Amino acid sequence: MRSLPVSDPGTPDHRGPWRFLAWLARVQARDLVPAIGLSVALMVAQAMLPALIGRAIDAGLLARDGSALLRWSLLVLLLGLFQAFAGPMRHRLSVFIWLDAAYRTLQLVTRQATRLGATLSKRLTTGEVVAVGLADVSRFGNAMEILVRAGGSVAAIAAVTVVLLSSTPRLGLVVLVGVPLILLAGAPLMRPLHRRQTVQRELSGELTTRAADLVAGLRVLRGLGGEEPFERRFRAESQEVRRAGERVGEADAMLQGAAVLLPGLLVVAVTWLGARYTADGVITAGQLVACYGYTAFLVNPLWTLADTAETYAKAHVAAGRLVRILDLEPEHPGDGTREPHGRELLDGDSGLRIVPGLLTAVVAGEAAPALADRLGGYADGDARYGGVPLDELAGLRRRILVARNEDRLFTGVLATEVAPAGTEAEVREAIRDACAEDVVEAVGLEGFVAEGGREFSGGQQQRLKLARALAADPEVLVLVEPTSAVDAHTEARIAGRLGEHRTGRTTVVFTASPLLLDRADRVVWISGGRVAAEGEHRDLLARVPGYRAAVTREPEHAAPRPDRPTSRE
Amino acid sequence: MRLPVASSAEVKAYAKRLVLRHPGALARTVALHGLAAACGLVTPWLLGRLVEDPHRRIDLIAAGIALFVLLQAVLTRQAFASSARFGERVLADLREEFVSRTLRLPLATVERAGTGDLLSRTTRDVDTLTRSVRYAMPQVLIALIIGALTLGAVALTSPLLLLPSLLVVPMLVFSTRWYLSRARDVYLGENAAWAEIADGLTETVSGARTVTALGREHDRRAYADRQIADSYRMERRSLRLRTLWYPTLELGYVLPVAFTLLFGGWLYLEGHVSLAQVTAATLYVQQLAHPLEMLLVELDELQLGGASLARLLGVADLVEDRENGDVPNGVELSAQDVRYAYGTRDVLHGVSLDLKPGERLAVVGPSGAGKSTLGRLLAGIDAPRTGSVTLDSVPLAQLPLEELRHRIALVTQEHHVFRGTLRENLTLVRPASDDELRNALDAVGWSGPGLDAVVGSGGAVLSPAQAQQIALARLVLADPHTLVLDEATSLLNPRAARELERSLGAVLEGRTVVAIAHRLHTAHDADRVAVVEDGRIIELGTHDELLALSGSYAALWRAWNGT
Repeated sequence: MRSLPVSDPGTPDHRGPWRFLAWLARVQARDLVPAIGLSVALMVAQAMLPALIGRAIDAGLLARDGSALLRWSLLVLLLGLFQAFAGPMRHRLSVFIWLDAAYRTLQLVTRQATRLGATLSKRLTTGEVVAVGLADVSRFGNAMEILVRAGGSVAAIAAVTVVLLSSTPRLGLVVLVGVPLILLAGAPLMRPLHRRQTVQRELSGELTTRAADLVAGLRVLRGLGGEEPFERRFRAESQEVRRAGERVGEADAMLQGAAVLLPGLLVVAVTWLGARYTADGVITAGQLVACYGYTAFLVNPLWTLADTAETYAKAHVAAGRLVRILDLEPEHPGDGTREPHGRELLDGDSGLRIVPGLLTAVVAGEAAPALADRLGGYADGDARYGGVPLDELAGLRRRILVARNEDRLFTGVLATEVAPAGTEAEVREAIRDACAEDVVEAVGLEGFVAEGGREFSGGQQQRLKLARALAADPEVLVLVEPTSAVDAHTEARIAGRLGEHRTGRTTVVFTASPLLLDRADRVVWISGGRVAAEGEHRDLLARVPGYRAAVTREPEHAAPRPDRPTSRE
Repeated sequence: MRLPVASSAEVKAYAKRLVLRHPGALARTVALHGLAAACGLVTPWLLGRLVEDPHRRIDLIAAGIALFVLLQAVLTRQAFASSARFGERVLADLREEFVSRTLRLPLATVERAGTGDLLSRTTRDVDTLTRSVRYAMPQVLIALIIGALTLGAVALTSPLLLLPSLLVVPMLVFSTRWYLSRARDVYLGENAAWAEIADGLTETVSGARTVTALGREHDRRAYADRQIADSYRMERRSLRLRTLWYPTLELGYVLPVAFTLLFGGWLYLEGHVSLAQVTAATLYVQQLAHPLEMLLVELDELQLGGASLARLLGVADLVEDRENGDVPNGVELSAQDVRYAYGTRDVLHGVSLDLKPGERLAVVGPSGAGKSTLGRLLAGIDAPRTGSVTLDSVPLAQLPLEELRHRIALVTQEHHVFRGTLRENLTLVRPASDDELRNALDAVGWSGPGLDAVVGSGGAVLSPAQAQQIALARLVLADPHTLVLDEATSLLNPRAARELERSLGAVLEGRTVVAIAHRLHTAHDADRVAVVEDGRIIELGTHDELLALSGSYAALWRAWNGT
């Protein structure tokens, strides 16, 4: 067996759901074709078992011929040996095909996500994309895998048809008409089952959400109380799920009963007619047994075909969702080609001018995220670097890095996460300057950052992200509130090291913290979407009342305890 | 910290108790399946009679077959409905007991373990177990019944003809035991690999902007490919096991057919059995394939369910061990020479602190200095290794939860809003009239939707500040005399923090407050400031006293204030 995943999942045809499924079948053709071939051989062999048993009865038992009995029994044995070999082989091929389809789709979704970047979360929720990447991949796996069984089933049905019609035409006709009738009669029973299953899935989904909600809020419940009412409520919903489950069970029971009754009636018809033909000498006793065998056997491949239709209905829906993701194009791909003239970053909308090589602190309040996005070329606007509009700039993402608290830490080795291509010295320096040494002390440089750093405190995560941004070492580093979750002691140290680390390169920090503002080369105050004042922190504090209000808390409103003096300066 | 997992003996004992809790339903299910299977065995027997003597009363026999088919169909329907009812009851019991246990986890465990592990038990393990109970359990039951009855029918037809089938039993038992003893780990590995893929994809998708910002496109793709390769390795392992196991199953189906035919045919030719007996036995043996396959395939699933059950039951091993001792009357909180260790390393080295009722104490210090640990001890969540934390000389860690809650509360960065109405989110603290609830909301400056509004996931979207306001309103209702605030507003953006200042002020009014602070203005506004470094209180006094001391705090304040 070849190894998976493939290095290149290929370029999918995303002009429509069916086209995508056809594309998937095409790229997997070299595995599908032999697997279907094997499946055909296997199913035909299985279909022949009743015939062999029938012959053994006729030629061996009724004719009282010991050697014929031996011959036919050995053939049954041989058939069994073939199945024992071919069955597991087909299983292996099927699993490979299933996995190939699932993995390939996963790769496509991953590649598309990394290509779309910021555009992805703007258009679709994480849940939507992950659902496609996980729940739906199994539908594609099923769609490819069932081709194998469906191929075998078609061949088996064809083989039985030929055998029946040539040996016992009249009984054959009964079987051939009867089996599809069974399926037709059984189909209406599927509908209530599916309907109730949908209701049950929704209810149990809600129950799981409820349980997850309780667990997520367990601190609150155990800390403040309320376990009992929440437990009562969960029990009530759980009982509702139970009732929905029972209703599914009843619909399923109807189907199970029908699965006995309908083929059973056909067996009755075949046996009754067959017995009469046997009595009249039209067919032999062995042929009667064979007919009984065929009737029982044919039900399976026919169910497989019904299953195939359903599998493709589901795969079509899943492919529709996938195609919608594959269709998206990044809004600001950052793939311009113009080289900048100089290194000055300018935001035309606000008039913000970033002097190259300096640490600029920007006090922008709620406007900070949007302004940072414009500076990074993530949003429409009139931002230029060295005179070139950001959409046209060559190597935009390499030159300008916007680091926000919403950024994710990724699971993996700590040093690799901070700087995938960095030397140990570079990593250590970035970690030192972001004051994240305590994290390294806790897990080690080669330690594992689990669950995207969720085991670290908010402050530790923030400092790791800062270290990562420093290690990336871009021409322009834009940091948005980089110390909002860090204690004052540590913040003071970061303020000192940040400027040092970025010496000679351009750094923009959106912050309102006096500790950071005090260490910046330049401070810009944005008010009403425009630059309102520029200068040094202390200078602005003294000279601009609005700035003072924005960075200190004093004039805006009284501190929480009005009985105390608010300033002790 | 990981939560424990139950031993397999505990799992077995529990499963037995659970199943036997509804003896009537179980008995009815087994009986119905048994009767249905018995009816199914009549057809081959009658067919055998027909084959032997085609001139018997054909119409009567055919009518007989029809009758039994009808009976079997009806019984099957009843049996499946009954087993679904039984299974759903067992499932409901299971998940309700699990949630009930979870809701009684010790406070210290909840605070320390986090909810990740518990969450995956609540979702993934409950799902796996549901599949097992809903599908695997009845299938295995039915397969056992049908298998036993079919073998019984062969024996009734002719005990001699049972021999060929018994021949393969040792082979099947051996190979299946071999397989199952290895399969569990491999399946768990497979599932774990898929879970890793899921987590990786979630990270890539939710962090797509970060990926492109840092130029990590290639890394993330390679990471995903590596996880896929890991998954494939696990799939290959399980496939290898099945490649060895499946042939024995296939042989197990077909060998008995060939042997029964051959052996029975020989017995017939020798005149020991009738043609009807051989035919019926051969058809019976052929019918065995189906229950056998069902049984063996579902054993896997049942095993997985067992593993999940072990994880769910593990939660039961943790019980709240607070003693019901003295109940304090006073409000004086005091810590004397407190030490606390994670593992073997002390993080607090003899901290002593007396809180004056109604005072506001700010705790400042660098990350990792032990501020949060001190906060948890003062809130009575953890007990000190040595030394004591007492409320009116009653050890805090021994105070029953019900007593503790309305005296001291820990307020953290987490502020969960439950799915449900705003009212439900507040009354969890205690039953209260709508007027009381509105007063509590007014106190924290609530401007969001009304009491009947549905909030939480799936409900009205609340801002982080509003979520925090709900948390504060709960505190107003709980009305503890002492609050420990751990970085309560630090993760919010600075502007939201300012808006909350007033809400917080209202809650703090008239209570003793320990505020573990990031922002120096909190310290500035406090009655006293404690500076914690390396697990010790190195400075303690009013803001002005500490400034006069010209120590660590004074230096920080000057940097902060730009003087």
